[in-house]
Amino acid sequence: MSAATTDTANPRKPYVRPISKTSWFLTSARYKSYMVHEVSSIFVALYMIQLVAGLFYLAAGPEEWESYLAFLRSPVVILLTLVGLVFFVIHTTSWFKAVPQATRIMRGEEVLPGKILVTAHYGIWAAVSLFVIILAWVA
Amino acid sequence: MTATRTIQLEVLRYRPEQDAKPFFQTYAVPVEDEWVVLDALNYVKDELDRTLSYRWSCHMFVCGSCGMMINGEPKLACKAFMQDYPSGKIRVEPLSNFPIERDLVIVQDDFVEKLTAVKPYLLPKQDKTVEQGEYLQTPAELKKYKQYSLCINCLCCYAACPQYGLEPSFIGPAALTLAHRYNTDSRDAGPEARGDLVAAHEGVWACSFVGACSQVCPKDVDPAGAIQQAKLYSALNFVTGMVKGDK
Amino acid sequence: MRVETADIIIVGAGGAGLRAAIAVAEADPNVSIALVSKVYPMRSHTCAAEGGAAGVIKSNDKLDYHFDDTVAGGDWLTDQDAVELFVNEIPKELTQMEHWGCPWSREGDGHVAVRPFGGMKIMRTWYASDKTGFHMLHTLFQTSLKYPSIKRFDEFFTTDLLVEDGRCGGITAIEMRTGQLRTFRGKAVIVCSGGAGRVFPFTTNGAIKTGDGMAMAYRAGVPLKDMEFVQYHPTGLPGTGILLTEGCRGEGGYLLNKDGYRYLQDYGLGPATEKPVLKAMELGPRDRLSQAFWHEEKKGRTIPTKWGSVIHLDMRHLGEKLINERLPLVRDLSRNYVNADPVTDLVPVRPVVHYMMGGISTDINGATTVDGLYAAGECACVSINGANRLGSNSLGELLVFGARAARHAVEYVKTARPMTDAAATAQASDVENRIAALYKRTSGKERVPALRQQMTMSMEEGCGIYRDEVSLKATCDVVAEVRARFKDVALEDKSYVYNTDLFQTLELGCMIEVAQALVVSAIERKESRGAHQRLDYVQRDDVNYLKHSMAYYNPNGDPRIDYLDVVITKSQPAERVYGAAAGGQVTA
Ligand SMILES: Cc1cc2nc3c(=O)[nH]c(=O)nc-3n(C[C@H](O)[C@H](O)[C@H](O)COP(=O)(O)OP(=O)(O)OC[C@H]3O[C@@H](n4cnc5c(N)ncnc54)[C@H](O)[C@@H]3O)c2cc1C
Ligand code: SF4
Ligand code: SF4
Ligand code: FES
Repeated sequence: MSAATTDTANPRKPYVRPISKTSWFLTSARYKSYMVHEVSSIFVALYMIQLVAGLFYLAAGPEEWESYLAFLRSPVVILLTLVGLVFFVIHTTSWFKAVPQATRIMRGEEVLPGKILVTAHYGIWAAVSLFVIILAWVA
Repeated sequence: MTATRTIQLEVLRYRPEQDAKPFFQTYAVPVEDEWVVLDALNYVKDELDRTLSYRWSCHMFVCGSCGMMINGEPKLACKAFMQDYPSGKIRVEPLSNFPIERDLVIVQDDFVEKLTAVKPYLLPKQDKTVEQGEYLQTPAELKKYKQYSLCINCLCCYAACPQYGLEPSFIGPAALTLAHRYNTDSRDAGPEARGDLVAAHEGVWACSFVGACSQVCPKDVDPAGAIQQAKLYSALNFVTGMVKGDK
Repeated sequence: MRVETADIIIVGAGGAGLRAAIAVAEADPNVSIALVSKVYPMRSHTCAAEGGAAGVIKSNDKLDYHFDDTVAGGDWLTDQDAVELFVNEIPKELTQMEHWGCPWSREGDGHVAVRPFGGMKIMRTWYASDKTGFHMLHTLFQTSLKYPSIKRFDEFFTTDLLVEDGRCGGITAIEMRTGQLRTFRGKAVIVCSGGAGRVFPFTTNGAIKTGDGMAMAYRAGVPLKDMEFVQYHPTGLPGTGILLTEGCRGEGGYLLNKDGYRYLQDYGLGPATEKPVLKAMELGPRDRLSQAFWHEEKKGRTIPTKWGSVIHLDMRHLGEKLINERLPLVRDLSRNYVNADPVTDLVPVRPVVHYMMGGISTDINGATTVDGLYAAGECACVSINGANRLGSNSLGELLVFGARAARHAVEYVKTARPMTDAAATAQASDVENRIAALYKRTSGKERVPALRQQMTMSMEEGCGIYRDEVSLKATCDVVAEVRARFKDVALEDKSYVYNTDLFQTLELGCMIEVAQALVVSAIERKESRGAHQRLDYVQRDDVNYLKHSMAYYNPNGDPRIDYLDVVITKSQPAERVYGAAAGGQVTA
């Protein structure tokens, strides 16, 4: 090319950096925690399935319910449930952290401070958990 | 008085007319403590290498030109202070998730198209001539969307967004936030008037809400929050639509 | 060479260019528009404006008051027909911005709020916290996306105007990402290329403000008017020159010397009251404040730092809530750049170059002496700013005159004859050859950064807040020398894709022309008026200099300076009165 001004050839050649479809999330700490959050939702879902299944067993009659309980008592399932619990906590806390962003409550001219919202969520979580534990105790 | 030290500035270079692919070039740059990374780049440009290209203008984090990856994080070069990089080595690359035009200059056509597509302008709820004066808007109504109007289009959030990296058709944080900014403006006719692009597959639902965008935003715009609110809105809308029996 | 055509070509997509484009689109959707800018529109420097835009809207205010403040603020070098038109139209323009969604700050009842600003007798400055220009620019840019007749050419660097027989028929511009030169043919061109603060070393102006449009029009034979009037803003951050808006003082901030004393009371701006009083003390006009700094520095009452002397801006008494609400950017900038939090600390500041009162000479329709060539915004000089612009008048100016130039151009193109192909092609190939020569030259021993630095430093030394014959002559010689040596510059980067070495070189070429017009106009004006203060001619001289300076381009030497009468309609030149005697509104 002789001058800036000839438009015979277009000298552009934008370069697209490759992104690995399988390991991109290992490239930064932020993406790793993102993946943990995303993966945790699988466990949350599995646990939900287990609960819903329980309902069906309950509806099916006392024997089925007993077999379901026995299944729950097996060590492997207990272990899995514990792991699930950890992920459940991760999922819930990472979600709570985001709550103020998702819901903006106006109090007069001010946006309700995020801290209050988050604390309220934890408070409700604790209250409900306590209620469930008491129920389990009484029952 | 501050001491001058010398840092190693590693810059990802790419000159399309001569390079097959990008490579790192290291410059030794004497820096002052109150400098920002942009000052170091300007030093390189003036004193060491006239062939280095990058965008900048305002030097006061408001024009949005100088977004780049600095030690792997999307940042404004004019808001990345030397004091925060004590190690003596700084690596700069063009923003992730965008094609490289040359050196630190990225191709941003895709973003500009998306910005245009969300109709980022007021669609007035009520028609009024200039002679009739301004629309009234209380400070509380202003505050509702104000934060979302602060976006400088620097594209740091796009560089951080895992979703955009994997699925380039995703409209992405800044453009969605801008749509939300107008949708929540008390003077605006709202999302129905703006069309359903935002609620479409490439719109808010493609965002998995991790908030990487909000973490890197240099203007605290909180795009993740805006998208999340828009989702809530579009979900509610869907439900009320079903109840009312539309469609 | 590829040719683009449009009825109206707009150079620059800042506030003025975008406003002009929308005005054309609204006036007639069939008129095609090419909006050409060397940066994406939202990067234009209008985004940096913080403080606000003045316009009469409140019941205690009158158009006449705004007129009087502006005329006196400009030390009677304003054209009063232009000012009258400006103050009449600006409230409508600002309301129009509101209708387009601009997030103006509000009063409790939902009406637009106003804030005090320097040199204004009544509070009348509309603002959007301390990001007014940013919000205006983005509102205009986003609104412009509605109009299909606006075709944008983002990142196209305009090099020249095409002119034949006193008639403008287009431009040439380099597509920055390919390095290819293109011709844009049209019936009218509106230059909205912004200011030229970069001809000085310390400035609030961004890297793109290199006076390109001024230089293009100047080379095409249009005079540059009143170039010697350069506004120093009293509160820039030392080192970087980053601006802390006048809003800081509008909200009640104090300026203190090294003894913690509000020294402005020693310069005819007192008395020092606790609450801000308009047109007094810290709310005096910018020229007076910057000049007072110079005197304090001479008296040894400023604070020395490695970035030059500073004084302190004290906002601590305003409280965190007000600062967060009205001055958030100021807090962000001071904390980051000088490590001082205005809520608890004194912030060091000094005067820095901020605004060019002068520019491409136009009439009240934005028209220049070349048919079909218009100019608006900071690059133009309609003469509403005179010898000293009042803060918050220029954001309004670019709306009013951007729209006016556009509407006038729409009428003009209906009957305009296009330029002949032969002339357009010939001129475009001249430009092509000039750029090709830059690429070919290998022997060049001059470097762009060194020349730029030499010139800008000399401008600050010899052509700063105070000037005299000796200092101006010295600077004039340096500029002439740099201009000669510039011919020996060779590109160090010979590539075509986004070659910023090329653009910086072309920009330096423009800056040199602008600097020369500026310094020669300053030598010739042998009086002190507004921002032009001469130590050797300390008085204002209405007998000889109540006139606009007009600098005409001379390719081989100093420009020719001519003079044009000032338009006076209803306000006869008088003494500028500030301080208690000005009777400004007490803000509270
Ligand atoms: C820090 C700061 C704060 C300010 N605060 C206030 C305030 O509070 N109130 C007020 O009234 N005023 C203020 N001003 C002044 C005001 O902001 C400017 O005068 C005004 O914004 C200029 O607008 P413009 O449209 O003329 O130019 P700009 O916004 O500078 O736009 C210039 C345009 O021209 C284009 N351009 C330039 N050269 C070329 C070329 N060669 N080829 C192609 N395109 C080109 C650029 O790309 C850009 O799009 C402030 C200025 C600064 C610097
Ligand atoms: S929250 Fe949504 S938009 Fe933001 S980074 Fe995550 S996926 Fe992207
Ligand atoms: S949302 Fe924030 S990070 Fe994203 S473009 Fe806007 S300012 Fe930049
Ligand atoms: S240079 Fe404008 S944002 Fe950094």
